[in-house]
Amino acid sequence: MGRLLNAAGLPLALGLGLLALVPALTRAGELDLSIDLRAVSSNATDTRLDGALGKPRYDSAQQGLRLGYLRLGYRGDLSSTLRFTLEAVSYGDHDVNPIDLTEMYLEWRPVPSSAWRSRFKVGAFYPEISLENRMRGWRSPYTLSSSAINTWVGEELRTIGAEYSLDWLGLAHGHGFEFSTSAAAFGWNDTAGTVIATRGWGLNDRQSTMFGRFANVGGPLGSRTLFYDDLDKRAGYYLGASLRYRGLFELRGLHYNNRANLADGSDIIQDYAWDTYFDSLGARWTPSEQLTLIGQWLHGRTYFDTTAPTDAWSYQSRFLLASWLQQHWRYSVRVDEFNLQQTSCNFCSVATGIGFWLGDDGHALTLTVQRTLSDHWNLALEGLTVSSTTPMRNFLGIDTAQRERQLQLSLRYER
Amino acid sequence: MSISGASGGAIEGAVVVAEPLQPVARTHAPQKAVMDQHNLMFVPDVLIVMTGTAVDFPNSDQVRHQVYSFSPAKKFELALYAGSARSPIVFDKPGLVTLGCNIHDNMLGYIWVTDSPWFARTAADGRLQLHDLPPGDYNVRIWHALLNESGAQLAQHISISDNQSSTASFKLTRPLRAPTHNHGADRKWADY
Repeated sequence: MGRLLNAAGLPLALGLGLLALVPALTRAGELDLSIDLRAVSSNATDTRLDGALGKPRYDSAQQGLRLGYLRLGYRGDLSSTLRFTLEAVSYGDHDVNPIDLTEMYLEWRPVPSSAWRSRFKVGAFYPEISLENRMRGWRSPYTLSSSAINTWVGEELRTIGAEYSLDWLGLAHGHGFEFSTSAAAFGWNDTAGTVIATRGWGLNDRQSTMFGRFANVGGPLGSRTLFYDDLDKRAGYYLGASLRYRGLFELRGLHYNNRANLADGSDIIQDYAWDTYFDSLGARWTPSEQLTLIGQWLHGRTYFDTTAPTDAWSYQSRFLLASWLQQHWRYSVRVDEFNLQQTSCNFCSVATGIGFWLGDDGHALTLTVQRTLSDHWNLALEGLTVSSTTPMRNFLGIDTAQRERQLQLSLRYER
Repeated sequence: MSISGASGGAIEGAVVVAEPLQPVARTHAPQKAVMDQHNLMFVPDVLIVMTGTAVDFPNSDQVRHQVYSFSPAKKFELALYAGSARSPIVFDKPGLVTLGCNIHDNMLGYIWVTDSPWFARTAADGRLQLHDLPPGDYNVRIWHALLNESGAQLAQHISISDNQSSTASFKLTRPLRAPTHNHGADRKWADY
């Protein structure tokens, strides 16, 4: 309990202080607050947050009562079509800032006068890639831990730039289908690829923050001090598209490329450019009000260093999620598969035995039962088991094959 | 009046309007009506009003909505709001008005505006009764939000005599479209 209070004390005090501002802020927009407290049992190895390779959010040293998160969201209207969104969060861990931002952006969304509508976003926000992280604060209503794919998205990807979207609002025009396309240009994501290449995949709900130093404690391949950094002054881009049918089915695809220049980096702050690109395809099917089925696939590559041969990694993951809603109860099950393979290595030598090729191969099962207690309270119990073989664990002197289990009981308050 | 689907099952919630084919004295004044927004849905999903009706759009959700329509029968937009509605919108032209929310694209609602004072929606058994129609000829039209067809089968001619009742039965030729879903639970906090 003392550990929880030590970790959560300052964020909770900040949260309570902000509560006092609620009346003024809600007059100008929407302010919402979430507090998630957890009781955790885990046998996992040291976490990614500590620079290690544990896949669940909590390791065996972090069992007991924990702060899941304290979150504050604000949506203010600068005009009837210009909206300001801010998401702040505290995880009560040892990140440099006790509370930090995960998103902050302006969105211009004119009221449609025909079936076509343009949208324009500028700031820091998530690309429209996840079909499970759909609650405010990019949280999942289905599970406590995100899939491997969206854990990585939460850890390393943020659009810090501008996005233009064009929607065709077929439903309001008497049709069954709707579609959207979007294109974005961004900076400050040159280091995307560091976590996936050096830590492999994870399954947790710990998003990186705009000014935080998540996983900066060192680890097998050195440390990093900035998470969102622009080293090469060259914009990356992504192109996305989605197709929706009457709210029953949605297909969503994204091609991402940070176009990082591998020649750029900063030895002083030990951040390096990683040239990272991927494709993602996902679908969500809601055949009834009770049942939701989600599947997503992602495959990409990342490159590091200009010294021949350039280090290269290939990574892919996929998951299937089924969720059943029965009045106040929600039952969810998700199966993840993930793989990371270094395909080129300039410090590895079979002949000399120096170095080895990095990789990460495994699967996970997540079972979550939730009970809505009232309009504001929610209780969730989640079991997560992750089996993986990760040669990088050799750096830490632990078995490369691990089966990690985590049980979380979450009590969440939303207002 | 009864409406059955292509496979014979009852059609609930269909709009039925009896439009007089001869001039009738306007004895019904338009009433005020309410189209609420609750759990990211328009409630009711379909509202029938007489031409000239003022409709209030309260917001019972904890999130803001921005209601709009670009239907020819009524183009309008309500600035972002929460809680009680702004000024009501007067629907002054007959026709179908499709409602959307600029913040929540899955929200969909309909207002059927008619010059006739004789309208209702079918009950769960696909039936309804319209009362106090003056003697005369009427064009009875039906419509449903999930209708997947058009054609002559959606209208019938009936005649009403003094103190007599008349019946009409409609049978759709194609199944209704699947109903839309609005993501199940946690709608209050949905944003992505």
